[in-house]
Amino acid sequence: MRPEDIAGLIKERFPAEVRDIREFRRQVSVIVRKGRIKEIMRYLHETPELCFDYLEDLCGVDYLGKKEPRFEVVYHLYSMKHRHAIRIKAEVPEVDCSIDSVVEVWKGANWHERECYDMFGIKFNGHPDMRRILMPEDWEGHPLRKDYPLKSDLGEVEWKGFKEVIELAEKNKVYEIR
Amino acid sequence: MAVATKQLQTKELTISMGPQHPATHGVLRLVLDLDGETVVKCTPYVGYLHRGVEKLAENRTYLSAIPLTDRLDYISSMANNVGYCLAVERLFGIEAPERAKYIRTIVFEMARISSHILWLATHALDIGAMTVFLYSFREREWLLDLFEMLCGARLTTSYPRIGGVRNDVSQEFLDSLYRFTEEFPRRIEEYATLIDQNRIWLKRTKGIGVISAEEAINWGLTGPTLRGSGVPYDVRKYAPYDAYDKVEFDVPVGKNGDVYDRYRCRMEELRQSNRIIRQCIKKLPVGPVMTPDAPKFTLPSKDRILKEMEAMIHHFVLITKGPIAAPAGEIYSAVEAPKGELGFYLVSDGTGRPYRMRVRAPSFVHASVLPRLCEGSLVADVIANIGTIDIVLGECDR
Amino acid sequence: MTTGSSHYDLDRLGVIFRGSPRQADFVIIAGTVTKKMAPIVRRVYDQMPEPRYVISMGSCACSGGIFDTYSTVQGVDTFLPVDVYVPGCPPRPEALMEGIIKLQERIRKEHFKWSRWR
Repeated sequence: MRPEDIAGLIKERFPAEVRDIREFRRQVSVIVRKGRIKEIMRYLHETPELCFDYLEDLCGVDYLGKKEPRFEVVYHLYSMKHRHAIRIKAEVPEVDCSIDSVVEVWKGANWHERECYDMFGIKFNGHPDMRRILMPEDWEGHPLRKDYPLKSDLGEVEWKGFKEVIELAEKNKVYEIR
Repeated sequence: MAVATKQLQTKELTISMGPQHPATHGVLRLVLDLDGETVVKCTPYVGYLHRGVEKLAENRTYLSAIPLTDRLDYISSMANNVGYCLAVERLFGIEAPERAKYIRTIVFEMARISSHILWLATHALDIGAMTVFLYSFREREWLLDLFEMLCGARLTTSYPRIGGVRNDVSQEFLDSLYRFTEEFPRRIEEYATLIDQNRIWLKRTKGIGVISAEEAINWGLTGPTLRGSGVPYDVRKYAPYDAYDKVEFDVPVGKNGDVYDRYRCRMEELRQSNRIIRQCIKKLPVGPVMTPDAPKFTLPSKDRILKEMEAMIHHFVLITKGPIAAPAGEIYSAVEAPKGELGFYLVSDGTGRPYRMRVRAPSFVHASVLPRLCEGSLVADVIANIGTIDIVLGECDR
Repeated sequence: MTTGSSHYDLDRLGVIFRGSPRQADFVIIAGTVTKKMAPIVRRVYDQMPEPRYVISMGSCACSGGIFDTYSTVQGVDTFLPVDVYVPGCPPRPEALMEGIIKLQERIRKEHFKWSRWR
C-alpha cells in the first residue's frame, strides 16, 4: 500500500486525533494527538491490510522554541508482510509530559521508551519498568533536551558518583608510591 | 541399611556479571538471579559507554559528523559511515555516482566480513574453542591492511562522503582484494572444520536461546539474529541501496531460531559477502567518485578549489557552516549493517547542522531481548546467548 | 585484541591476559571511560595488588578524545595514576606494543620503589 493511502486510512478511522499529514522525500508522517495513541497503534498492528508487526524505532525530538507542543515522540513502523512503512508522530507538551506506553503492542518498545524517558523526561504510562537506562540511576536532568549543556565540566550539578570517585582518588594519593 | 538424607536449605543467589568481565563483550552488566545453576531472572544494565554521540552531532555539520558515526559500531565502521551518508544524501535529494556506489558496496561487504570474523572469534573463544580466534584474525589482518591501503586508517575509517567517497581505489587495492576473495572460501572451510561437527560445540549451541519468528519480530530483532528464526528480512533485498540491486546474492535463513542456526546464518553470509565483492570488482564502472552536480552539498575537488572562485567559496561555506542549502525536513533511512538494521533518523531545520540525529542501533534492541533468552537456562548458556546476539556496546550505548 | 593474536603476538613480550585483577600486574584502560563506568574502573584498580601499573590506551582514555560531553571523563588520569599513555584513535597494535615496551623499560629503571630489595 502506498504511504499516502495508509495515512488516509488512519485519518478515516481516527479523524479527531490526526492533526496533520506531511510528506517529504516520499516518506509520509502522520502527526497525531497523544490521547488515544495506544488505540491507534493497536489498530495499525492488528488490521490485516496494514499489519504493522515491526516497530523499527521509537524516539523523541525536542523542539524547544520552534513549536508548541515542545516534544514529539516519533514511531517508525514497518510491515514485513506487506513491505510498507509509516511514521507516526505524537505531540507531547512540556507541562503534562507523559504518553501511553505501547509495550503491550510491541515488546521491543520497552527499552526505546526507557531511553526516551532518560534523554527527554517523557514518562510512559503503563510501562513495566520506568527507570533510566543509559545514564546512571540517580542522574539529574535529561541530557538530550536542548537546554542541557553539552560539555563535560558540569560544575555544581556534577553526578554524585563521579564526585565520590574523584574524592576517593585524592584520598588514596597518600598511599601512591611515586 | 537406612540412609538418612538431610534437607538442604537453598536460597536464590544474585550475582552481578559486572561491567568488567572477560566474556561480556565490552561493558555490559548482567544481574543474574540464580537458583542453583538455573537463571531465574536476568537484568541487563547498559549505558557504561554512553558518550552522547547524538547530542554531539547536533553541534557539528553534516560532514564533520561522519567521524562520530565511525565510532558507533567500531568493528565495522565502514557500514555505519555508508548508512549515515546514505541518510544525508536521501535528505538532500542527491545521489552518488555509479562508481562510488559500487565502491561503497565493496567496502560495506568487507566491513561485514570483518565484523563476522570478529564475532566468530570471540563467540568461539567464549564457548571454549580458542584456535578459531587465532586462525580467523589472520584474515581480519588482511582486510584491515586493505582498509589502510584505501583510506589510511584500519578501524575508524571515515571513508564514504556525502555524495560519494573520499578518493578513488587503486589497482593494487583491487588486485589484493581479488586475491583475498579467491582464498577466503577455503579459509571459511578451515574455521568451519574446527567447530562445525564438534560434539561440544553442537551441545552448547543447539537448542539454546530459541525464539520464534513472530516473537522475534515483535521484539524488533533484525539481521542474522532474526534470520536464524526463519524470517528472510534483509534491508538489502527489501529496500535495496547502492549497488545491491545489481549483484546476485542469497540471504541465508535458519529454521529453529537457536544459537546454532544463527551461527550457520553468519557463516553463510561470509560466503555470500565474498560473492558480492567478486561481482562488484568485475563490474566496477568507470567514472567520478563524487557526484559533480550537487555543488552546494559536496566538497569540490582540490584542483578546482585552487583555480575557480566559486569552488573555493563552496568549499569554505561547506566546511565552516555546513550545507546551508539543506532543505528542512526529516528522513529515516536504514541499511543492513552486520549486526542488524542500522537506521538513521535525521531532522533538518534548514541550517548546515542536523537538528536531531537519532541512531537506531541494532545492538540496543538485541540487548533488550537477553532476559527473554536467558531466563530458564543455565549460566553457561548466558555466555552463548550474549555471543549469539552479537552486540557491540559502542553501538548499544552510543 | 589484535595485539594479542598471532600476527602481532603479545606473548613474546611476556604478556598474558588474566581474567581477574587480583592476579594482574598492569591494567590497560582501553576506550572511552564514562562517568557511569568511572567508579568501577577505580574499583578494579584498587583490587590490583602492588606492584601495579596503568597503561592508558587510546585518545579517549588519555584525554577524552573527541567526546567532550556530559557523560565522558576527560582522561582517566583524573582519578587514576597513569604510567604510560598510548595515544591514537584507535592506536595501532605496534603503538600498543611500544607502550608496553616503554613500561618495561620504566620498570627496569625503578629504584627501591616497591620494596627495599631493588
